[in-house]
Amino acid sequence: MPDNETITLELFRYHPETDSEPRFQSYDVPYDEDWVVLDAINWIKDYVDGSVTHRWSCRMGVCGSCGMMVNGEPKLTCAAFLKNYYPFPIKVEPLVNFPVERDLVVDMEGFMDKLQDVKPYIIRDDVNDTSGGEYRQSPAELAQYKQYSMCINCMLCYSACPVVGHEDEFLGPAALALGHRYNKDSRDQGQSERLEVMLSSEAMWGCTFVGECSVVCPKHVDPAGAIQQAKAMGAQEYFKRFVMPKGAGV
Amino acid sequence: MSAGGRPTRPSGEAFWWALFSGGGVMAAIFVPAFILVTGFLLPSADAAAAAEGAARLATIAGWWPVKLVLLGVITLSLFLCAHRIRHTLMDFGMRRHAGLLKLPCYGGALAGSVWLALVLWGI
Repeated sequence: MPDNETITLELFRYHPETDSEPRFQSYDVPYDEDWVVLDAINWIKDYVDGSVTHRWSCRMGVCGSCGMMVNGEPKLTCAAFLKNYYPFPIKVEPLVNFPVERDLVVDMEGFMDKLQDVKPYIIRDDVNDTSGGEYRQSPAELAQYKQYSMCINCMLCYSACPVVGHEDEFLGPAALALGHRYNKDSRDQGQSERLEVMLSSEAMWGCTFVGECSVVCPKHVDPAGAIQQAKAMGAQEYFKRFVMPKGAGV
Repeated sequence: MSAGGRPTRPSGEAFWWALFSGGGVMAAIFVPAFILVTGFLLPSADAAAAAEGAARLATIAGWWPVKLVLLGVITLSLFLCAHRIRHTLMDFGMRRHAGLLKLPCYGGALAGSVWLALVLWGI
């Protein structure tokens, strides 16, 4: 490949203080087959246009900060190699289904609220009692939830999910998978609290099992599978409450 | 109300989903066998063998335990279809009418189930 080869990036640009509407701006970037889309955006910001705004941190698929739409698909830009698109232009947009804050940065507040709603942490009555030592867990108990604990909150699944786009009440794939992760944790005692939220009308039942969330997940969490398992758990809880309206435990 | 201000009212969706889920299992296990026997094996046999096979099937379907199994399998499969159709319509922009859609979808499945029960009763 010649050293002076370039590839074109078409970046979504929107500065709400000056722009009345979004636009696309093209940049020619040096082509290097070891570069990822994030490297190209960083190069633009460092050498061409410092006003380009985007989120990133670890550059190795761990932090989940650099999720964007790359040619219409939700991707971690640190894992999207230029060589997979070369020689064609690459269109980079902010994640869909989120309000745009500025350029490639989206507003995460709604997502954070949904995460809070499922209480993604271990809930115990005896949380301060350490007299018994650590909480022991067998490999089989760990296997019940380990896959779902790999979520990095990159929000790609929210952009892939058509239900997220038209149903505000839907908690969404990552939040539901995380809620399910803690419901399946043998150390946790907060399942009833989480199911209070998850069992409400569209919070979980809005999922129509399109399955795209699991397709785009960079950590192979399989949120679609988690949601179906959570629905089965929720249905059991529903019938328990129906049969034993008072004091039905999970 | 949840931490994020989300209403936590209980939903009857769990009930419909349970029927849908049960129907999914039934449809996956039994319906392909039904289709294979009644849609391919019987029609592909010669006329005499097909008539004999159909008569045997009718005899088997006349037993009460088999009638109950058929009623369960087909009723749940109808609710599977109803739930999927309702959610497909919601995905196509009728989400605001999610409650209203229950009437034609689940009502249709119920009507089909009642008709099936009458047919099985008459065998």
